Amino acid sequence: MNAQKRILAIAQRELLDFVRDWRTILTMVLVPLLLFPLLFIGLPLVIGGEAQELAATEVEVLIRGDDVPEDLIRNIENRSVIVTLGEPVEDRGVDDAAVRNGSLDLVMHWDDNGGVYDVHFRHLSTSSLSTDARQRALLAVSEWEESERNRRVTEAGLNASSTLDPVRLDPTSEDLASQGEVQGWLLSSFIPLIVTVWVVTSAIQPAIDMTAGERERGSMEALLCAPARRWELLAGKWAAVSTIVLVGVLLQLGGLMFALTFLAGPSLLSAPDVGLGAILLLSAAIFAYSVMVVASELALAIRSKSVKEAGALLAPASLAVIVPALVVQFINLDGVEAFWFAVPVVNVLLAMRELLLNDVDPMHTVIWLSTTLVYTGAALWYAQRQFNREDLVLSPS
Amino acid sequence: MTSTSPEHSPLVALRDVNKTFGDIVAVHGLTANIERCTSTALIGGNGAGKTTLLRLLAGVYRPTTGTAQFADGDMTQHRRRIGVMTESTGLHLRLTAWENIRFHARLFGMQDERSREKSESLAVQLGLGGALDRRTEGFSRGMRQKTALIRALVHEPELLLLDEPTAGLDITSARAVRALIETLVDEGRGVVWSTHDLRAARVCERVMVMHNARLVADGRVDDLLAEHNSDTLESLYMELTSEATPEFQAGMEVVP
Repeated sequence: MNAQKRILAIAQRELLDFVRDWRTILTMVLVPLLLFPLLFIGLPLVIGGEAQELAATEVEVLIRGDDVPEDLIRNIENRSVIVTLGEPVEDRGVDDAAVRNGSLDLVMHWDDNGGVYDVHFRHLSTSSLSTDARQRALLAVSEWEESERNRRVTEAGLNASSTLDPVRLDPTSEDLASQGEVQGWLLSSFIPLIVTVWVVTSAIQPAIDMTAGERERGSMEALLCAPARRWELLAGKWAAVSTIVLVGVLLQLGGLMFALTFLAGPSLLSAPDVGLGAILLLSAAIFAYSVMVVASELALAIRSKSVKEAGALLAPASLAVIVPALVVQFINLDGVEAFWFAVPVVNVLLAMRELLLNDVDPMHTVIWLSTTLVYTGAALWYAQRQFNREDLVLSPS
Repeated sequence: MTSTSPEHSPLVALRDVNKTFGDIVAVHGLTANIERCTSTALIGGNGAGKTTLLRLLAGVYRPTTGTAQFADGDMTQHRRRIGVMTESTGLHLRLTAWENIRFHARLFGMQDERSREKSESLAVQLGLGGALDRRTEGFSRGMRQKTALIRALVHEPELLLLDEPTAGLDITSARAVRALIETLVDEGRGVVWSTHDLRAARVCERVMVMHNARLVADGRVDDLLAEHNSDTLESLYMELTSEATPEFQAGMEVVP
């Protein structure tokens, strides 16, 4: 029997063992598949429902001041606000207490300084109703101010429109990027992040189960007694974890594309303009990145004597990838320095962003591809060293 | 020492084997032959070096110094000639008994049809018939022991290494395991049986006693008893390990 068949046997057994657990199916298949559809349906529904509910709720506002304009008061009242008028006071403690205990949502002080009005709000930012009351009052004041401004300009004999709005944006101005390019740009802002985080987090559990878990259960010793070389064990386990991770990524991207195509707004309906070359390189980037991450996690997990120890090691170690992934989101791709494409993890993520914009820069490609191969090779070499350790089976008795 | 008749020819030769883990000496200066057609009981207290010796024989550990080789070649190249049953059984509980066995059989290069046929035959002998296609997570400890034993035997190894194979088995099952091992020995295989149970050790032809990482006795049970003027294996063991601490001896299960 050749090495290839042994590796296949190991990978098959690992996958069979893994999918036999219904919790695995739930977390590794359903979650990535449904995550984005749920985000695109559920989140807007929740946010919309909450906003509607808040808008329909009446808030209580106390306006203190002399000669508050009637039309301003009506404007505020038209926004589901119960307005109470009061005299100006020096001591604001009683009003503040009322806002704090919720009997009032907002206090607004109005002060006429000879045709210039000072508006002072007292609200509670930790209360949704108080914050919304302030927002409603601000909108009403803003509208009243615009109306007052127009009135004063007109009274001065000027044209309010041309005086107050001398520069106008031509509504026929055009974005030269195609809809597909815009789609690619939108996707590039979050697909690399999603792929990165998913690969790192989804590999943790199977990597631990197939290494530290095997040691803990005692099945590692039985495996080491079989005529499979250590690198074949690593290869089989690596193939199984990588399959799980990549299937998860594909399901997640499938769910995302479904959500974008059928659930998101009409502005996101088109597919991104990404050429075949970019797609192939994108696949290579995801694959190389997965190889590196899975090999690293297997190496770290096999060093651990127990599942608990492996979990304690891998969870913080995953931050070493997630943090750069977050940083990459803020790197400006226009004129990006070439050295970024040599930095571990960052290089693949930047490459993914660039490729989703259908930008295949030959120099960048050579740098990220070659450095990723080096890092991946190093990760595999390190994992191989760990799998060759004699103390994979402990207890010198 | 042990017999060298043709049917008891050396299968594995251990020569001045030392195994250390840092400062810990697990096996010291061990020289012995593991023979064909012989069941060998490997006895000793906790920490005596039994498991390390089994792992050296299985090729999981390499000797720090000395050699552990098949009489006709390098140990590490002949792992397929060895069957190992570890103390923890090492089964994958979400898989069926057959899937566990099939996986190992595939690593040994066996066709599924052949390994299935062999597994069914062994399952019948061990009283596990009908349970091969059930998940092992629902198995009793005894059923798991039997599954692990079938897994160790399915590729028909020349040397069988067993770590506490009858622990947790009821009387009938333990007897079935012993009968199977006797059959294997009759077929010409070598069997090394690590155990704390001196009753189980008594049924083996040969006994190796380990104490503080050293092999302190090795021979036919009757020869050793005569040599040390002992009536029982228990008294022989106590004599050989007389300097042992009570905690050390507490690890042994003795014949009442």
